[in-house]
Amino acid sequence: MTLKIVLRNLLAHPLRNFLTSGAVFFAVFLLSFLQAVVSTLDAGVRSASTQRLWVQSAVSLFVDLPLAYESKIATVEGVEWACKWQWFGGIYKEESNFFAQFGVDPETFRKSYPEIIVDDEHYKNFEGNRTGCLVGKDIALKYGFRVGDTVPIIGRIFPRPDGSPWEFKVEGIYESKTAVVDQGTLYFHFDYLKEAIESGDTDGEIGVGVYLAKVRDGADPGQVQSAINAMFENGPQRVNATTEAEFGRQFVSMLGNIPLLLRSIGGAVLVAIFFAVLNTMLTIGQERTRDVGIMKAIGFQDGAVFRLMIIESLVLSLSGGLVALGVAKLLEPGMRMALTQQFPGFAMSTNTLLVGLAIAAGIGVLAGLLPGMRIRNLTPLQGLRGQD
Amino acid sequence: MALVPLNYTVRSLFTRRSTTILTICSMGATVAVLAGVLALQQGFATMFVEHGRTDLVVLLRPGATSEGESAFPRDRSDILIKSSPEIALGSDGQPLASAEVYLAVRRFKVDGGETNVPIRGVQPKTFEIHGDDLQIVDGRNFQPGTDEVIVGQSLVGRIRNCQTDATIMLNTTPFKVVGVFKSKGSFRSEIWGDADRMLSALNRRSFSRLIAVLKDPSKVEAFSERLENDKQVPAKLQTEKAYLESQTLALSITFFFLGSLLAVIMGIAAVFTGTNAMLSALTARMGEIGILMSVGYRPFAIFLAFQLEAIVIGLAGGLLGCLLVLPLNGIQTGTTNFATFTEVAFAFQTTPLVLAVAIGFSIFLGLFGGGIPAIRAARMKPTEALRRV
Repeated sequence: MTLKIVLRNLLAHPLRNFLTSGAVFFAVFLLSFLQAVVSTLDAGVRSASTQRLWVQSAVSLFVDLPLAYESKIATVEGVEWACKWQWFGGIYKEESNFFAQFGVDPETFRKSYPEIIVDDEHYKNFEGNRTGCLVGKDIALKYGFRVGDTVPIIGRIFPRPDGSPWEFKVEGIYESKTAVVDQGTLYFHFDYLKEAIESGDTDGEIGVGVYLAKVRDGADPGQVQSAINAMFENGPQRVNATTEAEFGRQFVSMLGNIPLLLRSIGGAVLVAIFFAVLNTMLTIGQERTRDVGIMKAIGFQDGAVFRLMIIESLVLSLSGGLVALGVAKLLEPGMRMALTQQFPGFAMSTNTLLVGLAIAAGIGVLAGLLPGMRIRNLTPLQGLRGQD
Repeated sequence: MALVPLNYTVRSLFTRRSTTILTICSMGATVAVLAGVLALQQGFATMFVEHGRTDLVVLLRPGATSEGESAFPRDRSDILIKSSPEIALGSDGQPLASAEVYLAVRRFKVDGGETNVPIRGVQPKTFEIHGDDLQIVDGRNFQPGTDEVIVGQSLVGRIRNCQTDATIMLNTTPFKVVGVFKSKGSFRSEIWGDADRMLSALNRRSFSRLIAVLKDPSKVEAFSERLENDKQVPAKLQTEKAYLESQTLALSITFFFLGSLLAVIMGIAAVFTGTNAMLSALTARMGEIGILMSVGYRPFAIFLAFQLEAIVIGLAGGLLGCLLVLPLNGIQTGTTNFATFTEVAFAFQTTPLVLAVAIGFSIFLGLFGGGIPAIRAARMKPTEALRRV
């Protein structure tokens, strides 16, 4: 009965209510998009493992550590193995196609990341092929890489003297179950890079950007961290061993005020949409004055007419909001692919969707309150006269 | 044709006060978002691109796209500077060129968190090259050959140990901060010191880039071509302006993308809201429209009156939006330019252009929001309108 009245009322002004619901649709869509971006930014921090430590130069992200550090780190009590990571920083065809490439040790890399899913056969081929590479599912989709393809990458930090691109053969495509590893990276053999520098096939210097140190089960990561830092206290390169969460937070912190900026934009969107819905609800409340008078005259309680108004407002707001969240979820794969460069791992998480739902419901209830309270306090006579 | 008096439009807005105010607030918030993002983009663009010189060139290793990736060993950079007659000469007859070491170092922010601050090691000629673009505002300049540095003004108060008399550690070497400098361009978020001391403290063998002033700025192309094909020391040459543009392209595109996305999505929502406000104005004023028509106003005049009313609402929203973002002017903000992985600090700039675009956008919102209701009003039959009072 209640719902029937609400629907009849809403359908009596199809254009106006469609526009209001539409405005909520756009606002909630935008809010959930912004929320997804902000939560993607620190998703890596939240899902970090305590079993992986990152050892980097204490001076700068751009200063390499000596190759000899690998065996030294591996001897630290509680470290199971160390895996070399070197940033390659090349470009695929054009600068606008940027994605990350890292030279790693294939054997320890796989052992360090049980969260990475890749075909065993393919991984074996990757390990066996010095010029092979492993690419993430997102860039594989975006650029159409398939197993067996050759990916040309122009080196900028490690340029070939004749300016020609490096060529990596795709041996496998990986998926990642953790936000720590995005699906938009190309991994290749560190040794291939090292040998190319040694033989003069490329400019650049041999070094390791960061070491991943796997902490043995049962060992205390904090102690391992201090032991590694102490080991290189007097140089030649001071290091900073951090937990994976801390390592990720460092990149989030680099964004500076961007998350705050996105949140402020979200706030403004919220204000704009709240006023819009409130406006419609106030108009509805005015129009409903006479109806309410009749309803009260035939025995409807104050609470009932109040509830009706709130429900009407909720339906108006939620109809737009729910469709927006559905569309956002549907567009998720497309947006992830489009944003793989700016926000790798972009996802509409359940949390994000729930936040969107709560916002739509909140707007609905709040916008219904003011006109709801007004009609609750009307006497039947005031209502019938059509004035307060 | 007689137009409906402007007075009528304005008075109508006042009689429906709450709807008018709510719609204006809603549009104001929309316009404020667009203007805010634009102000950010403007602040960013003025800082980087507008201060780039065209008589100053930047030389990088071939293949490198930023100074962080580029490398010039000392012997090569010396040859390049000495063997290039295209470079202007300074007051002492030496080429106006400087090799620079550049590295983004890890620093801690005063309010917590870490960021990458660019450190630039420069040779003495650099100060003659930059001239008045660079001014010491506190303390003094560093002495060449010593472990002293000066810090850019926008680091002060944001990055730990960035003030006169503090000490900055680079790996295992302490550097003393002896002064603070200001610059209109991006140098103001950098730390500067002696190039050779930086090389040794940072354990590096190569400079990052060279800068040089041209004798004849119109011959950039020829110089660039010669260096590209140089057998001994090939190099990639760009004017400072072009270099800065290439460095900030990605971030500029991101701002532009963000701004347009917000403008389109929020704009549609605002048009819907505006349409609603005008529709309810229409419903409330049926009788008046009927009267206006029966006293002889043409449908087009009615259309104009409603359209005008919507535009006035849009314009008021635009003014409110501008008022909301004006206090942002000059507020410093910082983020990382991921093309160079360094922190850049810049201020919101609510330039006249930003405000003009915001106002234009708000008129546009009013125009579109008022469209449907105005057409509906104009199409009404006088008898019908009068009957529906």
